[in-house]
Amino acid sequence: MRRLIICSALLFASLAAAAGASRTQMGDDRGLLAPIAKAPAKTRGWKNPYEGQSDAIAAGEKLFRQHCAECHGDDARGRGRAANLRSTGVQRATPGELAWFLRNGNLPKGMPPWAGIPEQRRWQIIAYLKSLGADGGDAATSAATPAQANGR
Amino acid sequence: MRARFWLFNRSHYAGIPRSSRAFLFGLLCLASAGLGFPSRTAAQETPYFVAYSHHLEEPGNLEIETYSIYGTQKGGGDFIAPWMELEYGVTAWWTTEFYIDSQTTFGDSTVFTGTRWENRFRPLMREHWINPVLYVEFENTTDADKTLKEVVGLDNQFDAAEPNSEANRSHTHELETKLILSSDYKGWNFSENFIGEKNLGHEPWEFGYALGTSRPLRLEATPRPCNLCRENFILGAEMYGGLGTVKAFSSSGTSHYVAPIAALQLPNGATFSVSPGFGLNDNSHRFLLRWGMSYEIGGFGRKLRSLF
Repeated sequence: MRRLIICSALLFASLAAAAGASRTQMGDDRGLLAPIAKAPAKTRGWKNPYEGQSDAIAAGEKLFRQHCAECHGDDARGRGRAANLRSTGVQRATPGELAWFLRNGNLPKGMPPWAGIPEQRRWQIIAYLKSLGADGGDAATSAATPAQANGR
Repeated sequence: MRARFWLFNRSHYAGIPRSSRAFLFGLLCLASAGLGFPSRTAAQETPYFVAYSHHLEEPGNLEIETYSIYGTQKGGGDFIAPWMELEYGVTAWWTTEFYIDSQTTFGDSTVFTGTRWENRFRPLMREHWINPVLYVEFENTTDADKTLKEVVGLDNQFDAAEPNSEANRSHTHELETKLILSSDYKGWNFSENFIGEKNLGHEPWEFGYALGTSRPLRLEATPRPCNLCRENFILGAEMYGGLGTVKAFSSSGTSHYVAPIAALQLPNGATFSVSPGFGLNDNSHRFLLRWGMSYEIGGFGRKLRSLF
């Protein structure tokens, strides 16, 4: 009985810790630019093989709803502390920077790496994100690309 | 109607202590509550039953999993060992998981065989060519446990031939550690696990391994929503076995298996998997069949908080 109580306590302690941890995981829109800006310089030149393709954008939207909308919202404007992906700073990031960021995530801030889904699907998601365009929700950094925001 | 009577027949639970029954009931309630949350979250985890990759649960997501294994048994009755898992992404670099194990041996009995609590940590914050994950698990099981979630030491099929009445009396507390190394390359995942398990009752360290590889049938997604399309199917294979003990490190005298895997990951968060396994030597069960399903609840932590 004592072991069961200990196991139950550990399980619920984990859930409670998780609830607390989740509150501090997601950065705001501006906070997203710094990790994107850590993308190596070579990634900025990467081209999205699906750029502008309507089928890829539709597939990207489907994937976005499966993997991303839970945190970033159906409209990609962010939910809670998850970043607004229509913000000017994010939209000004190059496809290569976004591809690097999507693959690596930002583990300390709660963004998981999405290396587990094939590269082709990550590019499709980026094609969809780029199709959304900026809504200007990132005024403080609207003039800067992620690399400029990081002083590079 | 008949199914309902089966469910409420007390004799089916006779092997489970009253306190454990209450605990199991609580967990089932939690799982049922979880299923009440609508979800559209699809997991990016690999379909392995034994091996682990470096992909952890997304933070705040809860995955409810039920799996079973059927195994042939020389010198005893064949068995089915079902287990349930609750997997939660505590952070993006830490996943915790709780297991409840049981088994039915044909011609013998059905018994509850214990619980396990596992934690996986990603020490490196970015993707690399090879990505390490550290795994620590505490097991509170009996010798009747037949889930075969790992093979270590000199494990062989004759360990499972002991009658449940005797095997279930012997409780073991074990610490299991794993070094998980995993890579993604052109849609493929390659995972290598090195296992070290220590019975906390003054027994030597035992070692084992698990290898896995998998790939979706189609790498690109199609524009339209679909369930039975190639992009949702993943095929793979895993191989696992023992490597002896710290006193006798060897791959002989223990059991080894190879098992192809097929999984269907639906966009609504449900995953169905099946894996026939084949013993590679006389110490191994000749045939194993694993199957199961899981359901991912996106944003479970946030939804739970919103209730209070």
